[in-house]
Amino acid sequence: MKVRGLAVLALAALGAAALAATAGAGSSGVTSSQAVSCKSALKLALVTPLTGGGGFIGQEQLSWAKYGVKTLSKKYGLKVQLVQVDTPVEKGPGEALVVSQKLISDQKVVAVIGPATSGGVASASQALTAAGIAQISPSATRTSLTKGANREATSSFFRVVPGDYVQGPTDATYMVDKLNAKKVVVIDFQEPYSVGLADAAEVVLKKKGVSVSRQSTSVNTTDFSSLVTRVPGDADVVFFPSQQPSDAQTFAQQLLEQGKKAKVFGGDGTNSPDQFKVAGSYVSNFAPDISGIASSKALIDGWKKDNPKATLGSFGPPAYLAVEVALNAIKKACDAGKGQIKNRKDVVKHVKKINLKTSILGGPFRFSTKSNDPLNAKFYIFQIQSNGTYKLVS
Amino acid sequence: MDTFTQLTLNGLTLGSVYALIALGYSLVYGILKLLNFAHGDVFMVGSFIGFGTLQLLGGSTDPVVPIWLLLTLITLTAMAGCAVLGVAIERFAYRPLRDAPRIAPLISALGVSFFLAYSMQLLFGAEQRDYDAFSLGNGVLFLEGFNIGNVRVPLLRIVIIVSAFVLMAVLWVLVTRTRTGKAMQATSIDREAAAMMGIDIDRVIVFAFVLGSALAGAAGVLFALRAPTFASIGFLAGLKGFTAAVIGGIGSIPGAMAGGLILGFAEAYTQGYISTKWSDLLVFVILILFMLFRPQGLFGKADIRKV
Repeated sequence: MKVRGLAVLALAALGAAALAATAGAGSSGVTSSQAVSCKSALKLALVTPLTGGGGFIGQEQLSWAKYGVKTLSKKYGLKVQLVQVDTPVEKGPGEALVVSQKLISDQKVVAVIGPATSGGVASASQALTAAGIAQISPSATRTSLTKGANREATSSFFRVVPGDYVQGPTDATYMVDKLNAKKVVVIDFQEPYSVGLADAAEVVLKKKGVSVSRQSTSVNTTDFSSLVTRVPGDADVVFFPSQQPSDAQTFAQQLLEQGKKAKVFGGDGTNSPDQFKVAGSYVSNFAPDISGIASSKALIDGWKKDNPKATLGSFGPPAYLAVEVALNAIKKACDAGKGQIKNRKDVVKHVKKINLKTSILGGPFRFSTKSNDPLNAKFYIFQIQSNGTYKLVS
Repeated sequence: MDTFTQLTLNGLTLGSVYALIALGYSLVYGILKLLNFAHGDVFMVGSFIGFGTLQLLGGSTDPVVPIWLLLTLITLTAMAGCAVLGVAIERFAYRPLRDAPRIAPLISALGVSFFLAYSMQLLFGAEQRDYDAFSLGNGVLFLEGFNIGNVRVPLLRIVIIVSAFVLMAVLWVLVTRTRTGKAMQATSIDREAAAMMGIDIDRVIVFAFVLGSALAGAAGVLFALRAPTFASIGFLAGLKGFTAAVIGGIGSIPGAMAGGLILGFAEAYTQGYISTKWSDLLVFVILILFMLFRPQGLFGKADIRKV
């Protein structure tokens, strides 16, 4: 009886602590917009996970966003300060809303680069839009942010990369057409990113006559032994849309340990050459390896000069493009307002009308007239080589 | 049959780690009647100490010592580091509250748990840390071993299971065959009577924290050899260790060992035969059922009081 009483007390205290930790995450505030002079330093906020499991994405985006602000603010004749806002994925999607309150109250913040994650967009978009702030994400890919009857993001949200409505079918088509997959295990992690992406791939796989086995596990799982045991010995591919590249690494190693022949195929969340490096696996991403794009060579050289120790990846360049879209729209809003941004909503109007003849990702860039997604964008597939490097295969 | 064998192996691997964590809960509860909710975070710190030691010794791709020595050194360092941490927790968070109402040390334990998790996150970041044991000796720990039917038993699993059982055996000998162990048993039965018999209670309590925390440190390393670790992993690991201790009968050493293994098997079989998504839920259903119908656990004794 003593044990039970103490344990019940302990569990109640644990519950109270958990509630206290999440309190306040759901509130939203709106600050009416005041005119801001374009001669003063305008603020552009980068909302991304700079630390934690997704920190590698945020750091790469930060280096390119800094480079974009440094080079493009001169081009557009603006004074711009980049505000870094950390939203570790471990704090959950609600963190984006919490940090947005501070951005909303600062009238000098005229646009947001991000939020980087789909969950963060779904959480913060409404509050940011109510304050008239444009959000331009370089990496949020969930389909339902911009499409469907139950759209999670608002009309002030834009993304410069395509959504999972492109990624899921692209990955599934590659599995069938190039890897000749007949049996595929699709895994989700009971959170919106992986469930949406797994659903999108599963539909196409089934349409193409592939035998699909769907598995689901907790996002907190790090030992996948028993999940691996469930993978049939004759499965060709395991689709693993995790947001943790090290989980994909562990899963691929445990497949080898149990003698399974299936290849791991990760989504953009597992795209990290430092962490996911089991040879023969595949990953998809929303941006190509831009080192092969001739028109981007000067930009890459300039970025490398500023970041001599950094490796060129595929998460950073879309952040540069997002900064370019934002500064272009800010400049137009300043011109229309005769030297001032009368209302932050003015920037939103000009983001939608953006039309770049060339972008860092290759080719022209503008948004679709039907949604706030890039026009004609596509996903890219990489194969992990024996030395751990990623080779573009499609 | 192969699936059953593989799941049993998975359960045994996971269960031995849970058993080591559960032992720490039981040792401290047996003597202090305190649920040390910071214990899961000691496990987490152990896995980080092991990671740091591994990096100091050249990392998994280029270790400066043979693999067996590397594994021994990272485990011993984690055990030593966690033992010191356990002593510090007892000295600063629990000893001043020893005569306070029982809710006070419980809240202090939760505070220490959050303090450790957020301190580690602040110091080392929230990203996952991967020992990359797969790279040690070009995958020898994962790809070498022996077969049971068609199921491969890799070297790493043998190392984890054998290490856990050796540690449990050493603990058993320490508690049942040494003077300090017998003093621990006496203190757990009646602290005041033990003190009157000349047993140094403070020393016994510190010893319990040293043993429990060292086992958590070893569990942290053994777990992280197979799966990435991160600053907030201790919360769930601690809850599972606590559940294992409750199943076995909190305060009972053989109970903690059995509870850990039962929990490991339950998780593995649920994931393999029912659904991977239900395994965590099952753990806490088991906890609730034991709380309701057998709070003393499988090996514990019902606490009967004369009224």
